Amino acid sequence: MAEFSWASRSPLEQALVTGVHGARGVEAGILLTEIRNFDLIQVMARRGKGAELAKAAKARFGMAAPDTPKAVQTKDATLIWSGPDQFLVLSKDGKYAMNTLAPAFSGLASLSDQSHARALISISGAKVRTMLAKLLSLDLHPAVFQVGAAAATSIDHTSVTLWRGADQTDGRAVFNLLVFATFAESLWHTTLDAGAEYGIDIRYSEELA
Amino acid sequence: MRIVCPFCGERELGEFTYLGDAKPQRPAADASEDAVYDYVYLRDNIAGVMSEHWYHGGGCRSWLKITRNTLTHEISTVEPAAGAGAAKVGA
Amino acid sequence: MAGVQANRLANGGLIDRLVSLNFRFDGKSFSGFQGDTLASALVANGVKLVGRSFKYHRPRGILTAGSEEPNALVELRSGARCEPNTKATTAELYEGLEAASQNRWPSLRHDLMAVNQLFAPIFVAGFYYKTFMWPAKFWEAIYEPAIRRAAGLGRAAGIADPDHYDKAWAHCDVLIAGSGPAGLAAALAAGRSGARVILCEEDFALGGRLLSDGGTIDGMPAAEWISRTLTELVALPDVRIMTRTTLFGVYDGGTYGALERVNDHLPSPPEHQVRQRLWRIVAKRCVVAAGAIERPIVFAGNDTPGVMMASAMRTYVARYAATPARRIALFTNNEDGWRTVETALGAGLQVAAVVDARPDVSPAHRSLASKGGFPVLNGSVSAVDGGKDGVSKISVSLTGGARAEVEADGLAVSGGWNPAVGLTSYHRGRPKWQDNIAAFVPDGAPPGMVAVGAANGAFTLGACLSQGFAAGAQAARDAGRSGKAGSVPVAADEAFSLTPLWHVAGKGKAFVDQQHDVTASDIELAQREGFESVEHLKRYTTLGMATDQGKTSNVAGLAIMAAVTGKSIPETGTTIYRPPYVPVAIGAFAGHHRDENFHATRLTPSHHWAAEQGAIFVDTGLWKRAQWYPRAGEKDWLESVTREVKAVRSGVGFCDVSTLGKIDVHGPDAGAFLDRVYINTFSNLAVGKARYGLMLREDGMVYDDGTTSRLAEEQYFLTTTTAKAGPVMQHLEFCRQVLFPELDVQLTSVSDQWAQFSIAGPKTRDLLREIVDPAEDLSNEGFPFMGAREVALRGGIKARLFRISFSGEMAFEISVPARHGDALVRNLMQAGAPFGVTPYGTEALSVMRIEKGHVAGPELSGTTTAADLGLGKMMSTKKDFVGRVMAGREALVAADRQVVVGIKPTDKASRLRSGAHVIPKSEIPGPGNDQGYVTSVCFSPTLDQWIGLGLVERGRERIGEIVHAHDPLRGEDYDVELCNPVFYDPDGGRQRG
Repeated sequence: MAEFSWASRSPLEQALVTGVHGARGVEAGILLTEIRNFDLIQVMARRGKGAELAKAAKARFGMAAPDTPKAVQTKDATLIWSGPDQFLVLSKDGKYAMNTLAPAFSGLASLSDQSHARALISISGAKVRTMLAKLLSLDLHPAVFQVGAAAATSIDHTSVTLWRGADQTDGRAVFNLLVFATFAESLWHTTLDAGAEYGIDIRYSEELA
Repeated sequence: MRIVCPFCGERELGEFTYLGDAKPQRPAADASEDAVYDYVYLRDNIAGVMSEHWYHGGGCRSWLKITRNTLTHEISTVEPAAGAGAAKVGA
Repeated sequence: MAGVQANRLANGGLIDRLVSLNFRFDGKSFSGFQGDTLASALVANGVKLVGRSFKYHRPRGILTAGSEEPNALVELRSGARCEPNTKATTAELYEGLEAASQNRWPSLRHDLMAVNQLFAPIFVAGFYYKTFMWPAKFWEAIYEPAIRRAAGLGRAAGIADPDHYDKAWAHCDVLIAGSGPAGLAAALAAGRSGARVILCEEDFALGGRLLSDGGTIDGMPAAEWISRTLTELVALPDVRIMTRTTLFGVYDGGTYGALERVNDHLPSPPEHQVRQRLWRIVAKRCVVAAGAIERPIVFAGNDTPGVMMASAMRTYVARYAATPARRIALFTNNEDGWRTVETALGAGLQVAAVVDARPDVSPAHRSLASKGGFPVLNGSVSAVDGGKDGVSKISVSLTGGARAEVEADGLAVSGGWNPAVGLTSYHRGRPKWQDNIAAFVPDGAPPGMVAVGAANGAFTLGACLSQGFAAGAQAARDAGRSGKAGSVPVAADEAFSLTPLWHVAGKGKAFVDQQHDVTASDIELAQREGFESVEHLKRYTTLGMATDQGKTSNVAGLAIMAAVTGKSIPETGTTIYRPPYVPVAIGAFAGHHRDENFHATRLTPSHHWAAEQGAIFVDTGLWKRAQWYPRAGEKDWLESVTREVKAVRSGVGFCDVSTLGKIDVHGPDAGAFLDRVYINTFSNLAVGKARYGLMLREDGMVYDDGTTSRLAEEQYFLTTTTAKAGPVMQHLEFCRQVLFPELDVQLTSVSDQWAQFSIAGPKTRDLLREIVDPAEDLSNEGFPFMGAREVALRGGIKARLFRISFSGEMAFEISVPARHGDALVRNLMQAGAPFGVTPYGTEALSVMRIEKGHVAGPELSGTTTAADLGLGKMMSTKKDFVGRVMAGREALVAADRQVVVGIKPTDKASRLRSGAHVIPKSEIPGPGNDQGYVTSVCFSPTLDQWIGLGLVERGRERIGEIVHAHDPLRGEDYDVELCNPVFYDPDGGRQRG
């Protein structure tokens, strides 16, 4: 009997074609990078256990988990607010997976593995806000949606989690989007259509930004 | 229309779903059929200030209780449902 | 090069004479310049006749120079890009522009439809209602098609628009509508204060009336002031200037709609760009500086080509250096109209006469007249001579009764100005009457909005600047910005005087609404026939209901109605104002969401594998699902589906069921929570077990069904139907957050986390043993029916196995983390090859569930109870649950309800179809004896005939009865037998084996 390969396949594997999409010639206005193979755990505080969970989370992550729409960067994970009493733990290489986190928050939180339920897309470039204005109804003005801001919102009536990561070294803003895996290809095409006029440089990466 | 979600901040209408009158309370298990009938079917048709249930399904998935004037669409208060943000209960 | 622009002035204008543009109108070649509109280019080329009117096919020319134009509507472009009813007055000229006049046949100059004018007596107000009443059947067949051919506007392209449109959001502190002096001043004040400003201007150039009327601001010519202002605005960090953008609507909460004509000024959009973009702008404050619209005076022949609004005439002369006439006359009732005379004289045109309805004309104007050598006639224009070649002679009724005639080839008309009160009135606001300008002005506005300048009835330049500036500064402060607004731009205020005049009585047609051919006598007729209310007047005469929404006609119409009813104009009132301010293409509202992008789509984890197999996909809600997998040589879907069913029933097959909604229900009270949302009990479900559950709505009807498994003490995994995944999640959150907040339970959708496949058929275990770790016990004892637990797969990953069956066969559902779904399906194919594993689609899935008598969407119709579905016994009597009380109401437990039953034709060769009605045998079908209907059908390969499920009155008591299937939609009648809905393996031995 043969052993089987269980190769992981991104929901964007078919749709993502690296290289330049849309307008060419000048520097691409949009840089679109899919981040593949991450761990994503949803942590939902139990009734009346908010304070205890916060304490346990701080002990576990070395930083307080956000309880307002923010994303915080710990040394080895990003903690992203995803609604009242809940946050997402984004990490790589099993640093924070169900089997390690569940015991730590036992009795304080309900955990749900969402590692395969989302695609993660990082968006930057000179035209990033212009393009995102076609997809998102939020005000992404630099003074309003600052580094570390997060939001649970929608694109095409589909829920997404958005947060602004650290600026690039050239000072340009970076927006991260978690989208539902089964919608990912559709939203990807919508994103390409929205950004085509600015030129899009498409990549994928195994590294969290 | 814009609704200020107590958790997410101000958002556009498209992120929310309207359910209806928030006044009727689900009767206890031993309530009469008439009481349940009233809860399920009987609604006041209010021209003016009304308490309503809305769902922020396009955002944080919280159920909200919104006080809105049905004549002007003016929203005066937005509160989370009792079970939204319940981790802070007793804290 | 097309011919000379005979009516182009040698100098002046805001046109770029170095860029000559060729264009065609009605097939004839012309040329214009960059900076022209189609209308100004036609004026420059001496074209006066541009269209035929809606009802009477009267020759019409250009009346205005803006978006209020009622007459100069053309079909712009050709082929798929042909856009009817485009206003020539706002269409920017570009190289190669093609336009055609509308509503004429065979040609504009020789329009045979003009015979309609001979029948004018029947085309009065309400003529549709009066004339085409009888016989009723003639309406669709004869009257309507004939009317549509003869009356109307341009023709739709009839083919799909090849261009793209999109939508975007913008946010600001201060939104400004209009870039005239008031708008620019507001932008300066708000921008300098540090506010985030968006300035929308409909035109491609900024400046509004300053572009035509000039003036002196801060001691400099208007053009220089505009240029300096723009330089300053552009340098401010958060000021965004959007030209070619019309603010068309205001919505609740400070949300505004704007249409940006991104590339309408080009023959086609550059690659990757959109034609138009719809903006939703969220603004804390809005300053409406939308200006005013000059209004006509109604008199006989006022629609003759060459009759033009006075302000439009000086726009063509001053802004476009194009002369609408050589020898003009002016008919005015106010001071502002005289500016046209000044402009005309300045451009070297002849002035034939000024007809001024006011008793007094200023000495300055008197001396202008004597210097210019033209008479000033105190009176009104009573008639205009001239046909399709335009105005030739003007008849004047002088005050005191005498008559005069004036030879002229153009007549400028000014009846005063109406503030553009649309935006301020869109929240059911009613503008108020202001006597000194004899016009409606805004009376309040939606929250956060203020009108300034001409839009607020302030018609002088100094007032426009000061009002705009003050409002801009205040709006910035209101938005929390505290910067310094600096000094206000200053200009003098022009003299102003007006004597209201709406209608000059006379012989011949006098038009109020030129686009809809509504005359003054139509309004008088409406009054005589009792349609006095303005809303009735509007609908009876169609006044103001054309694409221009009566911008030049509504107030005159009200004034005429007021006169005939003896009421004042404010007593007569205005109709309700509604957006959009200008027509907005449906394409712009749709934006990206058309064709394959109509809505977002969801793909299953095996989608691309299925596509490789040549699967046929079906849209199921947002999902694309494999419906069947055709193989070479199969002649139709039925053959493929039949093969798939047989393969499952005799061997093994699999189907992607990842589309089911999946919800983690966690927490100490998870079981108690499920007990309240399902009719049956879940708190007593053992860990490692699955159970079928049924949910009701609070009204007692079935809402959804699915299996829920207990994976750990405080962890349940709930599944929903594909269709209800979203709604059930919302419902459960309602139960959790609103109904039962005391329960400690947490919910999360994990629909996308798991790739889930149903593996079914007698060889299911054989297949599973190939891929599941050999240490896992899959025997009937080790993994009994309704078992649910995690297992290891060969090669290292974990999966969840659920021993549940929808097909009635020995079956498992297996789920793996979604990114392994593609690998799983490929591994199943590889491992299953020796067993002839067969992928099957939703069609085979449906066949097998019907054979097995399982209910699905057609039976869970929102009108059925648990008992109707044969699941009444599941309803627990030991606990409360959503829908419990209402499910017990009299009508919901009545004995004669329509319940699920099996149905098969008595003739095995006969086809059964969904929707056929069930009638007692030998009765004549009718509403009185309709006993239900067929809900689901399939061809059953197992029974070798068509079978189905139906909802039939007392169906379960009537097993074996022959009834009649009546299908009037398809014209079919046949006998069917009511039978046990479980056609296949009724004792369930196969799925338990």
